[in-house]
Amino acid sequence: MTKHDLIIRIAGEGGEGIISAGDMITQACARAGLDVYTFKTFPAEIKGGYAMYQLRASSERLYNQGDSFDVLCAFNGEAYDLNHTRLQPGTVLVYDSPGGDFEPDIPEGVHAYPIPMTATAKDLKSPRAKNMVALGALSQLFDIPEASLREVIAAKFARKGDTVVQANLTAFAQGRALAAAQTKTDAYAVEHAKEKRDVVVMSGNHAIGLGALIAGLDFYSAYPITPATEIAQYVARHLPKRGGTLIQAEDEIASISQVVGASYAGKKAMTATSGPGLSLMSEMLGMAFMSETPCVVVDVQRGGPSTGLPTKHEQSDLFLAVHGSHGDAGRIVLAVESVQDCIGLTVQAFNLAEKYQVPVLLLSDGSLAFSTQTIPYPDPDSYQKVERKRWDGEGEYKRYAQTEDHISPMADPGTHGATHIATGLEHNELGMPNYTPANHEAMQAKRFGKLKDVVTDFPAAEIDGDGEAELGIIAWGSSIGVVREAVQRLRDEGRKVKGFYPKLLCPLPAGQFEAFGATCGRLLIPEVNYQGQLAHFVRAETSLRPESYTVCGGLPFTPGMIVRKVKEMLA
Amino acid sequence: MNAPHPVLHPQTHLHKVALQSKEYKDNVNPFWCPGCGHHGVLTSLLRALSEVGVDPNFLVNISGIGCSSRLPYFVKSYKMHTLHGRAGPVATGAQLARPDLAIVVSGGDGDGFSIGGGHMPHLARKNVNVTYVLMDNHVYGLTKCQASPTSRREMKTVTTPYGGVEEPLDPVLYMLTYGASYVAQSYAANAKLTTRLIKEGMEHKGFAFINVLSHCPTFNEVDDAKSFKEASDEVTAEHDVTDLDAAMHVVNMATRAGRIPTGLLYKVERPTLDERMAELVQRVGGHADYDLKQIIDLSRP
Repeated sequence: MTKHDLIIRIAGEGGEGIISAGDMITQACARAGLDVYTFKTFPAEIKGGYAMYQLRASSERLYNQGDSFDVLCAFNGEAYDLNHTRLQPGTVLVYDSPGGDFEPDIPEGVHAYPIPMTATAKDLKSPRAKNMVALGALSQLFDIPEASLREVIAAKFARKGDTVVQANLTAFAQGRALAAAQTKTDAYAVEHAKEKRDVVVMSGNHAIGLGALIAGLDFYSAYPITPATEIAQYVARHLPKRGGTLIQAEDEIASISQVVGASYAGKKAMTATSGPGLSLMSEMLGMAFMSETPCVVVDVQRGGPSTGLPTKHEQSDLFLAVHGSHGDAGRIVLAVESVQDCIGLTVQAFNLAEKYQVPVLLLSDGSLAFSTQTIPYPDPDSYQKVERKRWDGEGEYKRYAQTEDHISPMADPGTHGATHIATGLEHNELGMPNYTPANHEAMQAKRFGKLKDVVTDFPAAEIDGDGEAELGIIAWGSSIGVVREAVQRLRDEGRKVKGFYPKLLCPLPAGQFEAFGATCGRLLIPEVNYQGQLAHFVRAETSLRPESYTVCGGLPFTPGMIVRKVKEMLA
Repeated sequence: MNAPHPVLHPQTHLHKVALQSKEYKDNVNPFWCPGCGHHGVLTSLLRALSEVGVDPNFLVNISGIGCSSRLPYFVKSYKMHTLHGRAGPVATGAQLARPDLAIVVSGGDGDGFSIGGGHMPHLARKNVNVTYVLMDNHVYGLTKCQASPTSRREMKTVTTPYGGVEEPLDPVLYMLTYGASYVAQSYAANAKLTTRLIKEGMEHKGFAFINVLSHCPTFNEVDDAKSFKEASDEVTAEHDVTDLDAAMHVVNMATRAGRIPTGLLYKVERPTLDERMAELVQRVGGHADYDLKQIIDLSRP
């Protein structure tokens, strides 16, 4: 298989400009028309600690962060120590030397380029421009578009004045010169783009914020939590421009309560959190289901249980998302694969909430939250937007009227003749408390009856591959992007493998799972959690008996891991 | 409903109509015990609504869980019967979403100051434009007699059969400290004062907190209607309601003497949360037709 991509990992101490150097390469590659997919880890601490930015660039469409890096750019000894086992023969090491804090023994077959990053920045009297020296060296060595990078650097520092811009450009040029003076022994370079494309570069978190704006968000209640906070950050900046309201609440219970209050008052409302916050919201999610109040809750999953691994990746809130509330409390659960999905599925989440008058939970995860990706420019007018069904003013108003599709028209406060109560108590069609067996049965049937149509209303899960397969891989969330590449690689090697990529996880489209399973000899569900949460639901709700492949090391799968697992299974 | 056409009142931002207090009564009968102070609070509330003249179509009653939290069922309006302790933040969301609505929160001492106690400071400091009527009977009634955060220490309940071990808190002292812009206290049997305080609270622009001591004839034998009346000292005309120190002094002196300070204790005007939000939107030039592409363009590489 021809290699179309280049993966560069920049690593060092937090605060040394690792993330901004990575971002600049990302921006420059995107400007040059390349597809970019980034993956970052940073410390839970504010200052210091290990920071890492990995970017994958290609002229082809990218679906994940890749297996490992081709190029490691190590800013310090710790970064080298943490990554040197991945320096396989043929990979490249660019490192701070002479003048850095370490001098590695170069492993056999590794192409090494010592660049005096710290020393050069010091000589130029701009010690904070160490990352610019590195950037210049990387640009020279791997043909990262120089003109684009210069533009990006100038734009980045424009606010700090021309002197700062020039100092950084000088450091950048110096980095290029230092690299040019060395003999290039490797063959890596970023590809040239095939065509100029109209794109944006966004992180998963910002894309969810944008999706909400496109959907017509009016009200957002925020409570800070890693790794979801950037959603609120984006919305706080842009929602007021649209005349909407973002408020920070005193806790997540207050956040979801405010959302339910705003939605009752007739507005499209949401909140976003991570696992600990979702745990706190559980009771009010039940109230939203009971009172049939539309709302959208985003859960950017992180490592758990409890405080867990706050900045790390995991897909372990599916049980909570599907079942987290007492009593039989229904909801709709969606999970995003990519930054592109973060826009589209957020719009869908609002549409489903409005149409079915239920809480809709949208699951994202820690790596997608901060992963920046190039996506086609999203045209806000191309998305369909759904509004809740409102009372037409005819006859007596019954808030919880039994109807054919189980959906009862809502009435905003201020509507004449439609005063009614939204209550968490079991109630009759008028909203009045009623605890009779017949009424409770009828109303639960109504509330769950609404959800029956969701499976057919929502686009069918994508099937990757045709005909019969030896093995089918079912993936959810950001693992889908990894599986896409694994399936392709396996197929290129002549294996009969298919993929199945559901985005709607509750209600589970069991029929679609069955149909897919019927075409596969064996089934595998890779998930980044300990218990195999999706596999559990599939075993419970279908006749399928998938095998589970679970990891929970705080990192996403790589395509190579899936390929190895499948080969092991089919050996 | 054939209500007269509502008028947005320039001073209070309320949609107004002319209705009798009985016309605010919904056709559900209160489920409270005979002799319960809550009946009196409801009567005062209905009178206050009539005196304010708020349009029931633009009124939202919001409550949590407990005996007193059933109140919205008995008032003709839009309403929400939410979760234990959560009426405050639900009301905050509704108010910010629709600042043209008149919002009344009702609930008990356990609902407001035990399970919901974490929300109280924020309703007050943010100056959320709602009227909060706390029906304080010093006991959990709906669950049949447990100690509440306002129960006297010596009170025997099913969870304190030998008498309690905790000191009670004083809701009005807390709300003064939290920065509420309107703090008042009354007792249920004093319909005249309660009506006036609720009415003025609704007309107050900002967070209005009215603690109404409401006797529970079923589970609280100590604090009956008579004891509330006898211990009440209504603040005099000389009391400066804009002076926070004076308000705290009145409350502290009364408490020390075993008395209950009633009347309007504190009232100041400051911007409400929704006003500040509207000002913010104006400052950034926000409007519903703002072109999303201008926002999306910021993410171009």
